[in-house]
Amino acid sequence: MYLLEVENLTKRFGGLTAVNNVSFHIDEGEVVGLIGPNGAGKTTLFHLMSGFLKPDSGTVKFKGENIVGLAPHKIVNKGIARTHQIVRPFRHLPVIANVMVSLKSPRGNKKIEWIKTIERKALDMLENVGLTELMLEPAENVGHGDLKRLEMARALALEPDLLLLDEPFGGLNPLETDFLTKSIQRIHLDHPTRGIVIVEHKLYALMKIVKRVIVLHEGEKIAEGKPEEIAKNKKVMEVYMGKAM
Amino acid sequence: MLEEIIIHGAITGGTLALLAIGFSLIYGVSEVVNMAHGAIYMLGTYFYFILTAPPPYGTFQLDVIPAIIIAVGLSAILGAIIYRFTIDPIIEDLVAVLVVTVGVAIVIQQLLLIRFGAFFRGVPNYVEGFRTILGVKVTNSHLLAFTVSVILFLCLWLFITKTKIGTAMRAVSQDREVTMLMGVNTVRLTMLTMSISSSIAALAGILITASTTGVAHPTMWQTPLYMSFAIVILGGLGSIKGTLIGAFIVGYAENIFVYSVPGGSYLKGMVALAVMTTVLLVRPKGLFGKRVELED
Amino acid sequence: MVTTYLRRAYTSFATHIYDVPPRRLAFMFLLLFLAFPATNPPQYILLILVIVNMMAIFAASWDLLVGRTGQMSLGHALFFGIGAYTTALLNVFTDLPLWATIPIGMLLSFVTAVAVGYVTLRVKGPYLALVSLAFPIILIGAIFYFKDVTGGERGISGLPRFFPYLGLYEQRLAEFYFSLILLLVSAVILYKIAYSHTGIVMISILDDEVASKGCGINVTKYKVMALAISSIFASLAGGVYVHILQSVSVGTLSVDLSFMAVIMTIFGGLGTIYGPLAGAFVIQLLDRYVLNDLIVVPSTWRLLIYIIVVIILVIKWPRGIARFVTDQLGDISKAREIEERGSHIWKKYKKKKK
Repeated sequence: MYLLEVENLTKRFGGLTAVNNVSFHIDEGEVVGLIGPNGAGKTTLFHLMSGFLKPDSGTVKFKGENIVGLAPHKIVNKGIARTHQIVRPFRHLPVIANVMVSLKSPRGNKKIEWIKTIERKALDMLENVGLTELMLEPAENVGHGDLKRLEMARALALEPDLLLLDEPFGGLNPLETDFLTKSIQRIHLDHPTRGIVIVEHKLYALMKIVKRVIVLHEGEKIAEGKPEEIAKNKKVMEVYMGKAM
Repeated sequence: MLEEIIIHGAITGGTLALLAIGFSLIYGVSEVVNMAHGAIYMLGTYFYFILTAPPPYGTFQLDVIPAIIIAVGLSAILGAIIYRFTIDPIIEDLVAVLVVTVGVAIVIQQLLLIRFGAFFRGVPNYVEGFRTILGVKVTNSHLLAFTVSVILFLCLWLFITKTKIGTAMRAVSQDREVTMLMGVNTVRLTMLTMSISSSIAALAGILITASTTGVAHPTMWQTPLYMSFAIVILGGLGSIKGTLIGAFIVGYAENIFVYSVPGGSYLKGMVALAVMTTVLLVRPKGLFGKRVELED
Repeated sequence: MVTTYLRRAYTSFATHIYDVPPRRLAFMFLLLFLAFPATNPPQYILLILVIVNMMAIFAASWDLLVGRTGQMSLGHALFFGIGAYTTALLNVFTDLPLWATIPIGMLLSFVTAVAVGYVTLRVKGPYLALVSLAFPIILIGAIFYFKDVTGGERGISGLPRFFPYLGLYEQRLAEFYFSLILLLVSAVILYKIAYSHTGIVMISILDDEVASKGCGINVTKYKVMALAISSIFASLAGGVYVHILQSVSVGTLSVDLSFMAVIMTIFGGLGTIYGPLAGAFVIQLLDRYVLNDLIVVPSTWRLLIYIIVVIILVIKWPRGIARFVTDQLGDISKAREIEERGSHIWKKYKKKKK
């Protein structure tokens, strides 16, 4: 049984087919990259996997169970957490309270060790991503790079079995990118059974972390394989650079 | 009995459609829930009254047609002003829009209360007599109201589907940002929509009040407002076709209810409430609702 | 032993109330309020103050819903009116004492809130605003229809009062302190909910419902919960109000009353809980005393003025929650624990605050 199995997933928006008959699977402990040019359907795929969109056809099986049609918060409580492409912090809450929200969910609450308070656990989560300094700062005052880390902390607080990261490196400077790369690697090592799927455009950063890459183009899966193979794949190059290669 | 329901239901449906379409239009184009919609309906009626009444209530004593034109025109201008100064500044914040538009409605209510007192007669029947259709007695003013509503609805339909501005309206209701990028001045477009919505509401006020109750009072804005809600929820927020069909369904339901329950006019609102509740439980999108469930 | 207890109580009081300027002010005001009857005011002034207390509960209850979860209720008078009419009708048609009928009204209001909430809050859209505005108006229609039972336009009068064995002035005094106790209890409960972990979750719903769901929160459940809790206090206010005035009318369901909640809360500060309390006092005293007895302004003009002011306020400052959350975090997050863990951070924060 795979951790995640997507079969023949299709989603249409009026005349546009955003995701077209996509199938793939993720094993426990795999770190997989999901790439493709803009508009390829990567974020839509994430929406479908996390319950924010319902597919027109196809199934998404998480630990063997078909989660299509379940409410998003229920899917989160089953063990899938995601970050968003454009950060969505809770502006009026301080950084630590942002994480505390995750810990108030049934899953987040369950995972708190019995001697700890919610605040303590939230603080631990912030330490993991290096945000303790900003703990009491209202999220609306926090800079973009830190907000991205906050999204991660919020997702990690749920101790998911499957972590979906949507362009985590977006808008980060090289220093932040380096820090994040190391963070993701550490997160992976700390939780070897957790699957991670990363949508990303910064391929040089991504290829270093992932073991496998899935390539989407215009809603269809056009390639799948190890990073080295994908880098040499002619079709992938065509799709990114245009046929004039 | 059945014929009475068929005829009266159709008339109610037609006039309700006129009332509701303004509300639906402004929501479709700008996502503004205009709680002052009923108040403009009321204001149109009062304007008409002021313009046609003899002293001491009014001084102009105009004829029916010019009075209606002026009343509707004033309402259109007022609608645009309300939009420009109270809605547009806060249009991104839906909660604020709700508060402000209700506020405007109550302001209008209070102003009318101050000027005219709590109860007022005087929206006279401008067309006397009645006809018999299919064996059912129908007052001429009812017939006129129905005819005008249908004609106006058709004109509106043509306007929205065939003209450039109408197409722009439809575009804005589907994707505001892209339409802005295409060079459409959405603020001005919304102001225009608001004027149209207000003028139709005012006209509906005059037609419906003159042909049914004949009375205007400062709290009469509430019923048309929640009737609009029920119709638009049933038909689907943002759909013109839905509003039309929803209006007829609600109109018929209301008539059937009034015929079945003796003296039931106080309870008419129950129909609207039942409609709203049922739709939200069974099919929240409404009949032709087009808002996608996507959260982003 | 007693002294250590007293000392601890004193430190707690000092840190939680005295050191925080707005709270110190509120506490002083409370003391003034408690001592006020010593000035031997006329009984109608006491009556006004009792009503003001109930309005304060009403406003604070609205704030929990709108200021925390962001769900706009435009017909909050619905719950006030259900509380009012339930106790009135039960008192007319049964032998139940008001001490039983008022809680029954609150229960009925709770059930209504859950039903309305479930129907309107499951789906994305302005539905609560629409239904909450329509429902009380329609209910008034029903009250007119069944006028033999409900008294219709004239309402019902001659309802029992709270302390029938007391003379009129003593009655008013007793009601004054009773309403004050109710207000304090309600305010504390609402405050504690708003400024708790649950309150944090509610703010997350206000800020970004989608992200909140993404954190595993059952958003609908919290929204309905907020509406339900809010309705309990609104109906309490309604039930008590009706027995203070010993009569009930459809004014308890009116749009004007619903909007009063909006006026009082926005005036005082949306999202704070104590703001609406202050707003209620200012607006209600203004409305019922200053502009009614001192400088006489007709009621229609008064409402007009308040609303115009509110409209201007909302347009200039479209609601923004006060910065209270960060300031009050000391309460929410057991400061001592954080101090141990990251004492240098806490010190830095404290320093920044100074």
